Amino acid sequence: MSASSDILRTGALAAEGRRRTPHRKKNIASRQIGRHLSATTLLWVFAIGFAFPLLWFVLSSFKPSGDLFSYPLTLFPKQWTLSGYTTAWQSFDFAQYFINTIIVACVTTVLTVAASCASGYALAKYQNRWLKVFFVCILATTMLPTEVMLAPSFLVIRDLGLYNALAGIIVPSILTATGVLMFRSFFLTVPDDLVEAARIDGARELSIFFRIMVPLSRPIMLTLAIFSFQWRWNDYIWPLLVLNDPSKFTLQIGIQSIVGAQNINWSVLLGASVISMIPLVILYLVFQKYVMGANINAGLKD
Amino acid sequence: MTLKKSPTGPSRLRRALAAVAAVSAAAIVLAGCSSSGSSSSDSDKKLTLWLSSSAAQQAGYDQLVKEYKQKTGVQVKIVNIPYSGYSTKLRDAAQANALPDIASVPALDPIWTKKLIDLSSIVDTKSNKINKNFIAKTSDGDVLAIPSDVTASGLFINKSLFEKAGVSYPTSPDKTWTWEEFIKAADQVRESTGAKYDLTFDASPSRLRAMVYEMGGKYVHADSSGTFSTDKKTQKAVDYFVSLNNDTIMPKSVWTSGADPSALFQSGQVVAYWSGVWQVSSFAESITKFDWASVPTPAQPVQASDVNSGGLVVGFNNSDSESTAAKAFLSWMYKPAQYKKLTEVNGYLPVESGLDPQYPFKSTAAQDAFKLYNDELPLYAPISGYFNQAQTKWVLNGKSLTTDPSVTELGKAINGQESTSEALKNIVDGYNQQVGK
Amino acid sequence: MTVTGTAATAAPERGTRTLAPGPHRRRVRLNHYTIAPLVLIAANVVLFALFFVWPAVIGFGYSFTDYTGVGDPTFIGGQNYVELVGDPSFYAALLRTLLFTVMVVPLSFVVSLFIANLMVSDYAKGKPVARVIFFLPWLVSPIITGVVWRWLFGENFGLVNFVIESLGGKAVPWQSNANLSLMVVVFAATWAGMAFSMLLFIAAIKNVPTSYYEAASLDGAGPVRLFFSITLPNIAPTSFIVVLLTTIGTMKEYALFVSLNNGGPGTENNLLVQYIYQTGFQRGQIGYASAASFVLMIILMAIALIQLAVNKKAGSR
Repeated sequence: MSASSDILRTGALAAEGRRRTPHRKKNIASRQIGRHLSATTLLWVFAIGFAFPLLWFVLSSFKPSGDLFSYPLTLFPKQWTLSGYTTAWQSFDFAQYFINTIIVACVTTVLTVAASCASGYALAKYQNRWLKVFFVCILATTMLPTEVMLAPSFLVIRDLGLYNALAGIIVPSILTATGVLMFRSFFLTVPDDLVEAARIDGARELSIFFRIMVPLSRPIMLTLAIFSFQWRWNDYIWPLLVLNDPSKFTLQIGIQSIVGAQNINWSVLLGASVISMIPLVILYLVFQKYVMGANINAGLKD
Repeated sequence: MTLKKSPTGPSRLRRALAAVAAVSAAAIVLAGCSSSGSSSSDSDKKLTLWLSSSAAQQAGYDQLVKEYKQKTGVQVKIVNIPYSGYSTKLRDAAQANALPDIASVPALDPIWTKKLIDLSSIVDTKSNKINKNFIAKTSDGDVLAIPSDVTASGLFINKSLFEKAGVSYPTSPDKTWTWEEFIKAADQVRESTGAKYDLTFDASPSRLRAMVYEMGGKYVHADSSGTFSTDKKTQKAVDYFVSLNNDTIMPKSVWTSGADPSALFQSGQVVAYWSGVWQVSSFAESITKFDWASVPTPAQPVQASDVNSGGLVVGFNNSDSESTAAKAFLSWMYKPAQYKKLTEVNGYLPVESGLDPQYPFKSTAAQDAFKLYNDELPLYAPISGYFNQAQTKWVLNGKSLTTDPSVTELGKAINGQESTSEALKNIVDGYNQQVGK
Repeated sequence: MTVTGTAATAAPERGTRTLAPGPHRRRVRLNHYTIAPLVLIAANVVLFALFFVWPAVIGFGYSFTDYTGVGDPTFIGGQNYVELVGDPSFYAALLRTLLFTVMVVPLSFVVSLFIANLMVSDYAKGKPVARVIFFLPWLVSPIITGVVWRWLFGENFGLVNFVIESLGGKAVPWQSNANLSLMVVVFAATWAGMAFSMLLFIAAIKNVPTSYYEAASLDGAGPVRLFFSITLPNIAPTSFIVVLLTTIGTMKEYALFVSLNNGGPGTENNLLVQYIYQTGFQRGQIGYASAASFVLMIILMAIALIQLAVNKKAGSR
């Protein structure tokens, strides 16, 4: 594999390079300015492209509903109003739904990360035929459209006695192929020597997993946590079918109730959507900080 | 151990994660517990009512429920269910034996019609004056559903554009125009004001039916044997409708690719909008840039519309005591005094006659619109209610028209994928397949 | 203690082994450890059995019946499958789905990988703000995505046409031309789904030892070479799952089409899942819809297995 030999070569040159650094300082400095400029420009070209549709979304949530579709088009509200937000907040029990959603999202996320980490590790570091079959089975779970599973899954939940319980939306969502795949591909990059050295050292299989592997996989854990949180946060149809008691309803059920049969109150819907996104953004910023934390792989790699 | 990371950051993280885990564990216990211990003790004093409506249209029910609690001590808990998913939820709740006591549903479903309670005593109470054309009655004489309200298709115009162009429009049903006269007037308005289109037309079979009825057709109609067919006038009307979708009179994008006709009309660049009474209360708030008005439905020459029941109010037979309580509430709700309040607060066209509701709108356009709809309803030809009645009959026979193929097929016709007659044939086939004999 | 000690001494040869784990060698060595993996996958096996196999078996049963959701299903053998194979609009939907996937997957892959690289680059300024911008579209629900993109690419009053017309151009039929309409969904799907792949890439890139980069850049490698010779090979497993997951997700795309063009104009942009909804569920033909769903699953499985095989071959080269 050419890539790996590249790495070996650069690795071997590293020591030599370090000694030579002082002579190259000037050269590097000027080159770095150029890189700063081009990288920043590229980043912001993309960012502006991505932000543009968002801008309409966020700014429109501050428009009175009479201005939303009026022509000629305007991006900025001529008259700023919070009426979409206040109506949204009053149109259902926002606070209660928020709490329910947070409970569901937290519990599911913790359990998803745990189950995916264990399975992903097993699939990456052990070899036997049944594991391969299981891997394909896990993939299969992503392949049926939600709708075809909806009615039969409901029967299962009912027969398990999970109807109208938050557990009824938590338990079925724990298994995710994405999570298992993420951990599998991560553990594939962890050197086998680490496992074998621990074995030679007399460590038991599961304690190798818990004491060495779990801590190593923190960036993946956090990334999957962001995913899982977002998925559960935005779940709609399944919670609606499983939950019967409005004191257990989740946020998306409330938001969807703004979308009527014949007409949609867009300004309320936009306001509610913006509110509902705030917790996700905060969670993301906190978790991403740890993922981006510089020394996260120090223990493993060098 | 170098494997352990720097002590500060990650350990804080670990503590946070541990806290999350603890909260989660507690929550799961709670979630598990609360699933079991509900709805046991005083079920005779508590009823559940499901509906699907905007928060504004829930207000009327909220008010009634409050009053009922003061009067009788019986609490009715209202649950507002999102429209998309409501019918699925009802099906699943039926399978889980978790139906509410009372519900306002968009349509009956054979899955749970057997669990409905008979409401005939409410309909038979003479003083209620309930229009019997809209109730769902079985061959045994049981009344399974009473509409919460009546809806009708109707025409809206951008009054500001008409005035600017100096074109007149009819204001009372006895001086209404034909579709061709209306389109001609709209053409004139568009040309002299520089508006973009004459008309947007909801991508809805109900709106199309209304237009076909007005032009003398019967749309897709069952004969005595239950087989569906169309007639010449329908063919002509549908041809005319398709020809209007020419990106000048009407934008093609509404029927072919799901553009939002209401948003287009609200832009102020469209002369008229063919929709229905439910738009009135939202236009009263959301249209501020121009004046709008409801105008009489065109008659060419038939004075008609597509009149449907808004929500269908039903009671479920969960237990003897609960169904008695549910019926008691509904009997009370349909008494003229209560029902009048409901129609006023929610902006309903009443299913009971002789109420003269006073709607609380500040907008005169909205007040005039409601007056017009209330005036027009008695004038409409009987065919206007055909579909609503047929639909009930299908369900009572264990069938249902889950999706009307009209929009998809005519979308294809407008897009040039098939001819109008092919589209009509496919629509008829779809009806025969789903609800035919 | 010894654990890390050994790991550290083993480091130099790691490159080769990480990227090309010799399957044969490992099988011989680890084959004895069968209980540990079973314990590790136990939870997911149970969940898989309960919440996938059980409902899927029920659904599979429906696919051989004329079940309509009401009453008792009657067994009709493979009739649903025969009907499906004979329906030309099924193939039209399949082709359109493949076309959509072939456009979205590479575009989304390149864009998200590129942005992920910028996001971890030390050179780019303003990352904290950009980070939120790139993340937000993924949170926006399909119905809002639909209205936002229609506001941009609406044929009648869209912003893009507004700009084109005020510059003297002719309005572009973004909605009534099937191919343009598909393009708009391609862009919207890339916009909405990019954050997911980007986050996977960021986690993977952060996992590449910094020493590799330091060494190579001291050796004079520019950012482009660093990317192709270090980043790309080291994140190969992640690239694979990104391609796999976006392929499956794109093949099943539904909500975005409903909110953006409703499969239109006409039915020209009906993808497979929408076909299943329209000809199956919405007409109460649960049996037919189930049959079509299992055919979709077989197609997806074939694609996934091919990708797995290709990936394995590339990995062992």
